[in-house]
Amino acid sequence: MRPNLSTIYLTLLAALLCQLLPWSGVALIIRPDFVLLVLLYWLLRAPHLCNIGTAWFAGLVIDLATGGLFGQAALAYALTAFFALSYQRRLTLFNIWQQAAYVFALLIFNQGTLLILKMFAGGESPGWGYFYPCITGIMLWLAVIFTRLGIQGHTDQD
Amino acid sequence: MPRPLEPQHSPAFFVRGPSPFARLIFFAAVSLTLMATDSRLHYLVEVRQGFSALMHPLQVLANAPSDLMHDANEYLTTHSTLLKQNSRLTEQALLQSAELQRYRSLEQENEHLRNLLGAARISPQNARLGEILHIGRDPFTHRVVINLGSRHEVIAGQAVIDADGVIGQVTRVYPFTSEVTLITDRELSVPIQVERNSLRAIAFGHGRDTMLDLPYLPANVDIRKGDRLVTSGIDGVYPMGLAVAEVVKVERNPNSPFAHIVCKPLAGIENHKQVLLLDMPKPEPVVNQTKNTAPAATPTGKKAPATKKPTAPQ
Repeated sequence: MRPNLSTIYLTLLAALLCQLLPWSGVALIIRPDFVLLVLLYWLLRAPHLCNIGTAWFAGLVIDLATGGLFGQAALAYALTAFFALSYQRRLTLFNIWQQAAYVFALLIFNQGTLLILKMFAGGESPGWGYFYPCITGIMLWLAVIFTRLGIQGHTDQD
Repeated sequence: MPRPLEPQHSPAFFVRGPSPFARLIFFAAVSLTLMATDSRLHYLVEVRQGFSALMHPLQVLANAPSDLMHDANEYLTTHSTLLKQNSRLTEQALLQSAELQRYRSLEQENEHLRNLLGAARISPQNARLGEILHIGRDPFTHRVVINLGSRHEVIAGQAVIDADGVIGQVTRVYPFTSEVTLITDRELSVPIQVERNSLRAIAFGHGRDTMLDLPYLPANVDIRKGDRLVTSGIDGVYPMGLAVAEVVKVERNPNSPFAHIVCKPLAGIENHKQVLLLDMPKPEPVVNQTKNTAPAATPTGKKAPATKKPTAPQ
């Protein structure tokens, strides 16, 4: 996929749709953060098109969808996007596993930031289960990276 | 190893607009302002409602697959299942009509006695059937979304029940949907009464699991395992006598002045799709109307809880 603005917005919309599916039970607890994963992908791949502002607006939409405090996911996404961007140039030199490790760290950072914001707003500590979405998230990330490899491989560089 | 994230055609190297740090500062400031405004000032209710109306088609689209599956399942129900269900429901209706007759005569008798006593008459509350659309997006809050909204004249603060007992309270109203906070959420509290000895207390949600707590009761309180808790009706939100929970554990620790009482809600939130929304009781003339801009215009004025948290006795 060549990155252009419409691709980015379409994939973000698809991710949002995945997020809005009626998840319940265990699936809800381990549901990966689709929107953040797509955001990170574009932030690392096409930082000239997808920037902190994009992340912030995506977070705002998530806040509206979840009914959470207005701006908490937006702030967490903006912070995560900042850290994603600050190493973006170096990251393109890494291999898949190193990149995945960095993305995993970012997912945990995002979830941790959200947790802190929620605790400020008066929430209760939810336990380690709160970080399950990071694990499923990084699995999804690797799955996407490897399928793309299977389909396109090196011809991606046109 | 391939490098999946290489930028395609390298963008202009230096022209990147404001630096990431500047952008971060800007957006962080905006979101902090938004958070403060949302949590303290309640200015954003209309904004939220407008956006949620915009997102409604997306919501419907996301729910479509599971709805389709549900409809298909319903269509493919076998003949025998329907027959069985039919006979069961007929039997239930018969049993309940017998009980209803008794209830009617009791109600008349009660009204008569109340007239004799000169007590205020309890006005009947109308109910409306709603359907649960989906569980809340955040697994760590206990909320569900139902298919009635401000277009159907739902207002924040209405009580929501099912056939077995109280489910919760409407806390946020959107044009087509509304959000119900369950009694197991830690922000919601329900004034209750023990059915056996009509002792009054307030039940708080646990937040972490699907249990309720009865805090701030002395260690020698007369509550036993198996006691049924019903709404006491003193808050003006829940009518009197709705089943809320059953006591499953009473722990008396000699080191603590309070008893540790855990209760299990009776309403089957996971099992049902249909819920009943009770209309708000007629407001008393002294209620301050300016509070209506707050998200939940409960008589106490605060956001979700039906009553404020009492302070623990020293």
